[in-house]
Amino acid sequence: MLPCGVFNRNPQQDMAIVRTKTQWLLLVLAVVFLAIVVIWLSPEWQTWLITAGIYVVAVMGLHITTGLCGQFAMGHAAFMAVGAYGTAVLTGNYGWSPWLTLPLSGLMAGLIGMMFGIPALRIKGLYLVMATIAAQFVIMFVIKQPQSWGQGVGLHVAQLSAGDSVFTKVQFWWVTLAIVLVAVFYAKNIQRTSPGRKMVAVRDNDLAAEVMGINLFRTKLLAFFLGCFFAGISGWLMAHHLRYLHPDIFSFNLSLILLGMVIIGGMGSTSGAVLGVIFMQILDKLTARYLSPAVMEWMPSGTSSSVGPALQLVVYGLVIVAFLLFEPRGIQHRVEKIKLYYRLRPFSY
Amino acid sequence: MLNVLVEGVLLGGVYGLIALGFVIVFKSSHVLNMAYGWIICLISYVLFQLMEPWGLIAYVAVPVMMLSGAVLGVLVERFAVRQLVGQSVLAILMMTLAVGFVLHGLIVLFWPGKIWTIPFKPVGLWSIAGIKVMPDAAIAFLVATGVFLLLVLFFRFTTVGLSMRVVAADHEVAQSLGIRVNRIFSLSWAISGAFGAICGVLAGMVFTVTVENGDILLGKGMTILLVGGLNSIPGAYVGGLLIGGVESLGAYWLTGLKEVVPWVFMLIVLLLRPQGLFGQKRIERI
Repeated sequence: MLPCGVFNRNPQQDMAIVRTKTQWLLLVLAVVFLAIVVIWLSPEWQTWLITAGIYVVAVMGLHITTGLCGQFAMGHAAFMAVGAYGTAVLTGNYGWSPWLTLPLSGLMAGLIGMMFGIPALRIKGLYLVMATIAAQFVIMFVIKQPQSWGQGVGLHVAQLSAGDSVFTKVQFWWVTLAIVLVAVFYAKNIQRTSPGRKMVAVRDNDLAAEVMGINLFRTKLLAFFLGCFFAGISGWLMAHHLRYLHPDIFSFNLSLILLGMVIIGGMGSTSGAVLGVIFMQILDKLTARYLSPAVMEWMPSGTSSSVGPALQLVVYGLVIVAFLLFEPRGIQHRVEKIKLYYRLRPFSY
Repeated sequence: MLNVLVEGVLLGGVYGLIALGFVIVFKSSHVLNMAYGWIICLISYVLFQLMEPWGLIAYVAVPVMMLSGAVLGVLVERFAVRQLVGQSVLAILMMTLAVGFVLHGLIVLFWPGKIWTIPFKPVGLWSIAGIKVMPDAAIAFLVATGVFLLLVLFFRFTTVGLSMRVVAADHEVAQSLGIRVNRIFSLSWAISGAFGAICGVLAGMVFTVTVENGDILLGKGMTILLVGGLNSIPGAYVGGLLIGGVESLGAYWLTGLKEVVPWVFMLIVLLLRPQGLFGQKRIERI
């Protein structure tokens, strides 16, 4: 619903991503704030911001595959790994420029994602979920094989640089922010184009969509390609942020956490997906700050290296359970309701 | 080569048992229980807690473990899954995954990094018709086959089994026949949980119990489930033997292939026969 006194006078206005001047102002202010605030933050929070940015890019991909097209993808972390290892191997072993591998990481992940999307034509629902889980294990298995790719010990990645100057953390955050903005814009934009609408039709009922003349195979493959493309880009960011890759980073749990972020934010909503990431990241920080020390005190047998990850899993699990039970439509739905309430106040009918 | 194949097929019996735990729940309530791997893992650690720190003998500890598995299954059903009845399949799937997260976290929290082997495991090598096999795998296979036959008989000849089959066929028909569908759901989760205890003991004999076992067990169960068909009990058993055989052949060829061969095999089966070898084809209307 639009704010009071705002009317759509032509189709362009109706389709606008950012509709009113206030929204533009807020958006620009938010971006400028995010770009500047990082300078005064402690390294810990800079890392937090960058990680959140990386997850937002990955979740945007998942949002397209799962939220828009309805194809549950549970192997997302593996496609991030494809992008990450792609850039690590190309820059490290073959001396390519990281900027050149940025699109290549995305493309590699996207094409491999398309390969695993092919079964989607014949199978759906639970069976497709299993096929995507298979993708997770098969890809991670392949990545672990070659000796030159680090195998179990891990792989070091070059630092990002422009010319001769190596990027600092602040500069890296600016790169991340730029990619995040492009990703969010793209995800938002695709919803008003023909492929995006086709995806939504396929999600709601794929048989009906096919009868209406939508090419199911192409639409589903496109959804997989785009989703995995984003995953690859986010893997590229991850590689150059961590500068050290290990197969354990891209675990099955990470795939599930990404999916959890989409569900917590609200399926099928771009801003919801972003909110989901922010919510989970804040939760992560709170758990590490306050809950872990408390539990450590209470449990003498626990060591700091085990309590942290264990609590993270428990908290993530409980939060997803709570959202599925009490707010199945996610944070976005709640935000919309609150906005609507204040728009109509004091006339709440 | 033959040795390896036989060994793999014997192990496949255990895998098939894991898949049976999924099938029982899926048949009655159409829930794919993705927390099952972690349920098995958690009750394996319950057994550890009973036997090592508390010093119970195996004959007491294993029944207690089965009971705890059943209770855990009922708890998960009652407080997490039943709340979502009627919602989309994928919401329920996500719910069971989240429950799996919590169980995994609890295991790491209470038994951090603990690796354990079942103490009452047989040692040495048995030789059957000239083929040498590990006795634990053979025992696991025999138990799995026995349990499978018992289950078939249970579904075929008892009243409860019959009512479970009715619930599987149609919830509304079952209700109008006076069957309490909710109770059948709980019962199937309890049976599947108790099954998990058997799987836990057998898998603990063949492998070791580690805090990361849940995903491995889940992977084994899932692949078999899809190869055999989601709601077919013979499918789970045959699928288990198939996957066990294929996996051991893969490992024979290249050691590292062991973990990935089942998934690839599953993908191929899915492409050729989307409903699995024994599954029913679903017909949909708009």
